This record gives sequence, structure tokens and C-alpha cells, in this order.
Amino acid sequence: MSHTLTRVPAFLKRWAAPVGLCLGLSLASLSHAQEGGEIVIGGSIPMSGVFAFAGVGIHAGIGDYVKMINEQGGIAGRKVSYVPEDTGYKVDVSVAAFKKITSQNTVNLYYGDSTGFSKTINPELERMGNILMTGASFATEINDPEKFPAQFLVGPDYTEMFGILLKYIANEKPGATVAFVYSDTEFGRDPIETSRKRAEELGLKVGAEIMTPPGSVDVSTEVLKLRRANPDYTIFHGYVLAPIPEFIAQGKQMGLKSRYMGTFWTMDNSTVMKMGENADGFMGVMPFRYYYDEEEAPMLAKIREMRPEYQSTAYMQGFMAAMLMTEAAKRTLEAGKELISANLKASLQSIQNFDTGGIIGIPISVKGNSVPVGRIYRADYAAKKMVPASDWIVLD
Amino acid sequence: MRIATAKESYQLDEALFDSATQRTWAVLLGVALVLYPFLASDYWLYLACLVSIHVASATGLNILTGYTGLVSLGQAAFMGLGAYTVAVLEHYFGTMFLFNLLAGGVVAMLGGIVVGIPSLRVKGLYLAIVTIAASFLAHFLFVNSGFTGGTGGMTVPPAQVFGLALDTSFRIYWLIVPVTVLMVLGAANLFRTRIGRAFIAIRDRDISAEVLGIPLLRYKLLSFGLSSFYAGVAGGLWAYFFRVVTPESFPLIMSIFFLAAIIVGGMGSILGGILGAIFMTMVPEVLRIMVGWLPIEGDTLQYVAPVRTIVFGLLIVGFLIFEPHGLAEVWRRVRRFFHLWPFRN
Repeated sequence: MSHTLTRVPAFLKRWAAPVGLCLGLSLASLSHAQEGGEIVIGGSIPMSGVFAFAGVGIHAGIGDYVKMINEQGGIAGRKVSYVPEDTGYKVDVSVAAFKKITSQNTVNLYYGDSTGFSKTINPELERMGNILMTGASFATEINDPEKFPAQFLVGPDYTEMFGILLKYIANEKPGATVAFVYSDTEFGRDPIETSRKRAEELGLKVGAEIMTPPGSVDVSTEVLKLRRANPDYTIFHGYVLAPIPEFIAQGKQMGLKSRYMGTFWTMDNSTVMKMGENADGFMGVMPFRYYYDEEEAPMLAKIREMRPEYQSTAYMQGFMAAMLMTEAAKRTLEAGKELISANLKASLQSIQNFDTGGIIGIPISVKGNSVPVGRIYRADYAAKKMVPASDWIVLD
Repeated sequence: MRIATAKESYQLDEALFDSATQRTWAVLLGVALVLYPFLASDYWLYLACLVSIHVASATGLNILTGYTGLVSLGQAAFMGLGAYTVAVLEHYFGTMFLFNLLAGGVVAMLGGIVVGIPSLRVKGLYLAIVTIAASFLAHFLFVNSGFTGGTGGMTVPPAQVFGLALDTSFRIYWLIVPVTVLMVLGAANLFRTRIGRAFIAIRDRDISAEVLGIPLLRYKLLSFGLSSFYAGVAGGLWAYFFRVVTPESFPLIMSIFFLAAIIVGGMGSILGGILGAIFMTMVPEVLRIMVGWLPIEGDTLQYVAPVRTIVFGLLIVGFLIFEPHGLAEVWRRVRRFFHLWPFRN
């Protein structure tokens, strides 16, 4: 029996995988060639995990805007390239993705997936000095140009969202009672303290502040608290969907007269309609128009051309993020300046009375690190759509 | 069996690296660890530091679960205690980083001893449930203690060494990796001593261990204390590495991550802890790189991302089906192949 003949294939079988992996890893560490002159938008996008519903939309939004701008010739003649990585909404994976993308490309614009990531990467951004960053976060903490000089928010921060809601309530029903229902997370607690003061300044009474554990299912005790306060308006924050439907359903059973409102992440059409019949009349603040808005909006028409099926509010957020980032880059290059964070941020803050093509209904201005504008939308369950319930409100 | 390794004294028999071959490999590993930061890009340095921190924590959990048989789902909570201790000390007192790391370890150790007290009455899965309480207690403490920055958490200034700030992956590598190496060597050494053997006896049959004269409560608490000390130091390193600690940074799922790491790596062996931590941290990243090579055109990230997670899960399940003793056993089999070559077994 010739053992050598039968042992060679066995030997290969044993070694193929490890050798292949080693070769692969060493090849991977060679960074791929720089496409000269491209402006790179890097992205830590939560395509899987708890935030996947938003991540998929954001990814499509940024991708579509980049495609559109490249069709129009890019920025100052340079093409824009979008380099995303999936992070599963975990901070350490997000940072790893950031490091991977920035080591393989010269990145000037970045989209981060969470408030945690934005805070963690801030010192690194300051050290690198050539990136302007935004993301899925609307955290009030980040709306601070001193502490976060290289970052901005694509819309109002959570405190400003509450501010818009409270301004609307004060207009509709002066002296009304409001209740805040929020989750016991950083996300949930973010705007509550300042909003309580804001409500009192506007002459509104804060009847109850109800905090629930983030994943709670049974909210009967909290609904009782709500009944005791008997507010005219209840604002939910820190949730995507659950436990809002439970609150509304039980509230209706108890005959509560309250109108219910939510903040950005609750406001997608599909999310609100999941509440069933109780969704009817649900209101909230939206910085952007919805995909199906009938009003005159050239950019929305273009989006509807590119994407015949409904695109979520996360898509709008990603689209606007790309729009603002590329506008900042465009202004920097047109002024003949280098693409470093200081210049990019100055260009961003020079965005005043800017026409977004109808994604936001009025010309917008960047104030500090945010764009404090929004409109109240109301759910029309019969039409399965969100309809505008107010004019565009701008905070100063 | 390796040839020509007969020992002539107990001391030589117990040595951690007991043959010239092993010592050579150990020296080569040391040289590789020293050269690595000069050759690796920022991304690979970041991953090396992250793997190191996970190795330190997994080794601690291995002491508790692998060697003493006390299943614990509180490892992330103890890391959180260590991380917050470092953050608070840096913020309010600005003390030296080595002191802060030790203090983090001690605070986590005290937490671990408190959580370990039920271990005298409950065993196995019931003890695991009790340790879950550690996560919730720790989260409550982090959110509601006035000095820990509430739900927003705290930022940690970089560790300072003679005025030099350790604020890049390259610089902090020289803090994280030596500390991890020391901790791993310490753990390996522990199991040559009486204490280590007592732990193993408790795992194998704790009633017999008690009959043999091992005071159960003292040694079980010691095991909890040691493993949470490791977690605390790893958490402190984590704080200096990420520079932001929030109550949501150390969720229960992180404890499950470490438990999975030692199960996949091989419980009850130091090498298993190391391999398991490397596997759990690196495989998702390696899968990401491998997917990047596939000649897929257009925008497929949306479909590829969940597929990566599925493949990772399948790999874990696959390893456990085909090698229940974990990666350490695979390693030993490969080594045996080399020792016995050209013989088969």
C-alpha cells in the first residue's frame, strides 16, 4: 500500500483551511488602493440587531443621495463614495468599523449609529481632525459645539423636539396639562428635566412624569398614574413602539381624554399604524416630510422616482444627513479650503435659509449643532397615512 | 507524549513551560507581541487591545466557572464596577492609572464576594440565576449613585504615563497587553498551588472536597473574589480604552458573551479562555473581511449583514458539536499531530 499517495490529499485537507486563513488575513491587512480625489462618507450603520429597521432605511437614504449627487457630477468635480459597515448597534463593533474604514480610506464625512458611539469616538475625531460626523443620534448632549466640535445632528435634538411639541400644545390649548411618559434609559431621560422647565415657562402644567423600564410589557400601574393626572396631552419618549399601544388602549378603556404624542423614532408610518385603531389621532413631531406627502417637493418627487415603494422616516434621516454633509463639503471646497473638521464645521454652520428641495418644508438654518425645525403630524388611520397637523415650527 | 522530557524533581515537573520547545515558542510569542504594534495598522491594533481585554475577563470567568464549577452570569457587572471605579477615581481624584486599575479590581472583588455568598446554598443553574441579579444591582447603582453621572455615564481622561497620554491604540497597547499577560500567567500559576487544586476539587465534587478539609465557603468566596478582581481590572482597562462608561456599556448580554467564550474555548483550561475570547471577538471581524472579498456587485450590505451573524452562530454550534471540549482541545489535537508525526496516534 502506498501511504504517501493517500496521505497527500489528507495532508492538504488538514492544511487548506489554516493556510488559507493566514493568507487571507495577511492580504486583508493590505489597504486597498485609494481612488484618488474621492470624497469618502464612512458609515457605521446598524443593519442588524435591535435598530436594524432604521439602519436599513438610513443605508438606503445615504446611498441614494450619494448616487444622485454623483450623477450630477459630484462635489466640485470630485466623486463621492459611500463606505458602510454593519455594526449591529454595538459600540465596540461600531468603533472597530470606524477604525477599519478610516485606515483603508481618507474619510472626511462619517455617519455614526448611536449616541454611545458618538460620545466614544469624540476624542478620536478631535485627534484626527479631518472628519465631520453626524449620525442617528438626536441626543441633547451632542448639541454642544464646544464639547462636540466635529459633530452635528440631522434635525432637532430631543429637547428641541419636546420644545416643538410643547409650543404646539401651548398654541392649541393654553394652560393645558401634559404628562411625560419615558423609558428608563439615557435615550428616554435625555429631554425630561429641561422640558419640564420649558413646559412651565409656556404656562403648561406637567401633571405626571412616568418612567417605565425600557422593555416593559405590563404598564397597568403606570396607566393608573396617568389616569390620576388626567392630562390633556401625553408625550411618549424613549420608545420605538412598545409600550405606547398598551398605554393608549388602556387609557381609552379608562376613558382618558388625553391626546397622545411621540418623538421622531416612533413616528414612522408603519410603526404608528401597528397600533391598530388606537393609532387614529396619534400625533408627533417630525423634522422631515413623509415619503407620500402630497405637497410640492421636487426632492421627494425624485425619491419617489428612484424608489417606487414606501421609504421610512429613517430613509429621510439618512438622505438629509448625506445632503447636509455633502453641502458642508461643497461649501468648503468652493471656498478653496482644506477638508478638515474646523472648515467643514464652519461650512455647515454657514447653512442658513437652505432649500432642502422639500424634504423639510421650509428653508433651514443650522443652529449650534442641530437644525431645530419640525412639524406636528397626526395619524389618519382610515387613510393609513400621517397628515400634517401644524405649520413648520422653528425654535430659536 | 513528548520524548526526552522526563523530570527529575517536582519543581521541574510543575513548570509552566516544561520543555525547550515550549520555552522557545513562549519567547517567540513574546517577541511577536512586542513587534506587533509596529507592524499593525490602527484597526488591527484596536482589535488586539479589545481581544486582550476580553482575554483578561474570560480568564477570570474561567477561574470561577471552568475551574471551580460555579456558573456566573455576572462577569459584565463586575467589569462595570471596575470601569466605573476607574472613571470615578480619574474624575474626582486624578490618581495614577495603576492605582486606579488595582482599586477597580478591589471594588469588583468586593462586589463579587457579596454576589458569591449565595453560592453556599445554591448550585449550578440556580446560582447562575442569582448572579444575574448582579447585573441589575450594578445597573441600578450606576444610574442612581449621585457621583456616577447617571444615565449619561462618565468620560474617562486617558491614562497618563510621565505626562504622556495613552490616547491612541498604539500607546494603550503597551498598558493593556502586559497587564493581560501578567494576569494570564497569574491564573496559570494559580492552578499549580493548593488554592487552585482546591477549586478543582470543589468543581469535581464539593461534598468530597469538604470532607477532605477544604472550607467550602472560604474557597468559593475566594473564587468569586478572584474572578471578579480579574473582571474589575479588565473593566478598568476597558474604561481607559473606550474612555466612556455608561450604565448601558455592560449589559447582561456581555456576560453571556464571556460565558460563550469560555465554553467555546474550553472550560477548565487557561488556553481555552484565551482561544475562546479571541474566537468570539475576531470571528465576526474576520467574517466581515471575508465577505468583503466576495465578488458581490451592488448594494448587498442589507442581506450580507444578518448572514454574517447567522454564520457566526453556526460556527459556535458547529464547534460545540464537533469538539465539545472546545478550541483548546482542537489546539491540543493539532499539537499532538506534530508531536507524533510521522505516526498517526
